[in-house]
Amino acid sequence: MAGYFEEMGWRELGDGEQPNHLLHFARFLIDSGLDRSGAAEWPSLPPPASKEAVKKLQDVIIENQKKGCPICLKNLEAGEKVKKMPCNHIFHPRCILTWLDKTNSCPFCRHEMPTDDENYEAYKKAKKRAEQSQNDLDALHNSMFS
Amino acid sequence: MANIAAKRIKREFKEIMKSEEVIGGSIKLGLVNENWTELKGEIAGPVDTPYEGGTFLLEIKVPETYPFNPPKIRFLTKIWHPNVSSVTGAICLDILKDQWAAALTLRTVLLSLQALLSAGEPNDPQDAVVAKQFRENPRLFTMTARHWTNVYAGGPNIVHECNSKVQRMLDMGIDEHQARVALSSYDWDLERATEQLFG
Repeated sequence: MAGYFEEMGWRELGDGEQPNHLLHFARFLIDSGLDRSGAAEWPSLPPPASKEAVKKLQDVIIENQKKGCPICLKNLEAGEKVKKMPCNHIFHPRCILTWLDKTNSCPFCRHEMPTDDENYEAYKKAKKRAEQSQNDLDALHNSMFS
Repeated sequence: MANIAAKRIKREFKEIMKSEEVIGGSIKLGLVNENWTELKGEIAGPVDTPYEGGTFLLEIKVPETYPFNPPKIRFLTKIWHPNVSSVTGAICLDILKDQWAAALTLRTVLLSLQALLSAGEPNDPQDAVVAKQFRENPRLFTMTARHWTNVYAGGPNIVHECNSKVQRMLDMGIDEHQARVALSSYDWDLERATEQLFG
């Protein structure tokens, strides 16, 4: 029995010692998922794409395909000059520039471009870290119980 | 800008009329005015849900800045669903708010609303009372949603238990819809529903 408690990092309270209430309360909050709601979703539409990234968007001339622009739904005709996103989706320059001036993701696949908003970039990093640590935790858990 | 919105809606309208969902009758779209700023949508309640057999009307308002901003949509047909206000028909759905993308169309939005009817999201509720019932009393939630579908959306499944309780309140001189809301909100407890209306 003692071995079990030692393994879990537990020990008996000393004479007159109180349990660490703050610690238990923190664990309670974590177990009930409050820590996750704290790192909640970005509360509104993500900010515009960074000016630099927009400037660097590739110009492409349409050869012969007759796909439509996903924003205005008009066909893209051969010879027309269009903008190509890093995710390879193409749009009329005016259509995509208007959109990226509003928010930073591809309207078709939500591929995210960098922004000039420090807060948003910090949020993205924190979110990625949280995902990474969750993955690590899952991997550790699976390695112990498989 | 207004021009882009109208032109795009016209293109969408042509496309959607040829879509298999419209041909199959699971969604419908109609014009309300000549300048393409307001439309009326219709979705069929998905099978194997309490909404099955019902037809739900939607008000669709197209902003001048469409498609850079989402269309404004609410249910005109009264519906009992955790993500739709049972009072105003307002909808809580991420793609109609901060998850909107310019490549989404009225067709994809109507299909998403249909999917919302199949899978309510009680953790992001629009109507707190409905969401609570959805979580804590799924059997009563299903019964209530089916009853509302029968009464307001033309659904075929009559829920006799609900009808007779509503009738009991009608006999006391209470307005029918008010009675239904009170009973639905108090888990069909006749006594508590009456108390709430007279208290």
